[in-house]
Amino acid sequence: MISRKALLVIFLLVLVSPVFGVVLADIVGYHEPLDVAAERLGLEDITEELNWTPLIDYTVPGLPDVVGYIVAGFIGVGIVLALGLGLSRLAFSK
Amino acid sequence: MHIPDGFLDPLTAGVTYVLTILYGAYALYGSKWKKNPDKLNLAAVLAAGIFAVQMLNWPIPGGTSLHFVGGALAGILLGPWVGFVSMFLVLLVQCLVFHDGGITALGANVLNMAIVDVLVGYALYKVFPQRFKVVGAFLGGWLGITLAGLLCGVELGVSSQLPYGLSVTVPIMGLWHAVLGVIEGFITAGVVAYISKKAPYLLE
Repeated sequence: MISRKALLVIFLLVLVSPVFGVVLADIVGYHEPLDVAAERLGLEDITEELNWTPLIDYTVPGLPDVVGYIVAGFIGVGIVLALGLGLSRLAFSK
Repeated sequence: MHIPDGFLDPLTAGVTYVLTILYGAYALYGSKWKKNPDKLNLAAVLAAGIFAVQMLNWPIPGGTSLHFVGGALAGILLGPWVGFVSMFLVLLVQCLVFHDGGITALGANVLNMAIVDVLVGYALYKVFPQRFKVVGAFLGGWLGITLAGLLCGVELGVSSQLPYGLSVTVPIMGLWHAVLGVIEGFITAGVVAYISKKAPYLLE
């Protein structure tokens, strides 16, 4: 049984996530903690060169960053839930 | 803490992949977690919740940020095997769908956040007596992130991609995550305290 309350909380978390992941991040010039350390160490991030997904960094092509972040969040939550529940059903069926 | 592509050399990436696959194979096939249906559904919902919470980057003036990782909480609520599965789902989707964490570093990222963080959180919570469980959850959250950060520093330090060795990477990663880990500890303890009042059966 999946708690509706838990799903509602997750829904609300995704809705407010751009406030932190996009808006405030832009204001303070956000970087992942590891990226900051890596910069000090002189490492090169080749994520852009090796990219395989249109949803890189929780963006959606053609959508503003804030809206794209929310859509990406729902896509991610949906896939994680589907995989988890699928695994659960697989385990029960055996 | 998500290591991107280009940071680990092939040897380090390979070793961390092998360790992760061995642990994952036991978690999936060797342990008895599949016999508990409630834990499996909880794992799916918790994974979705952790994915959503990790999107809430709390920016810190100066150009960095922190977000809740959730490995210790997964270990406390689900145990070391189902907790691993839950965190693995989060990291897999983050990597493959959003390129958050490199594909070459997926083994290392899973090792740090889905194995070490989960195990440390689980172990510390378990060793504390019932009336001090919230303290155990705090220490599990804090130490889980700190040790995961230290291991991340080791992985970066032994990688020949880096200009510096362990003496530089381990203190930087360890100290940084020891500081950030305090917040992780408070959130983990807060969630455990809330669950122990509202849904204590989830902690049994």
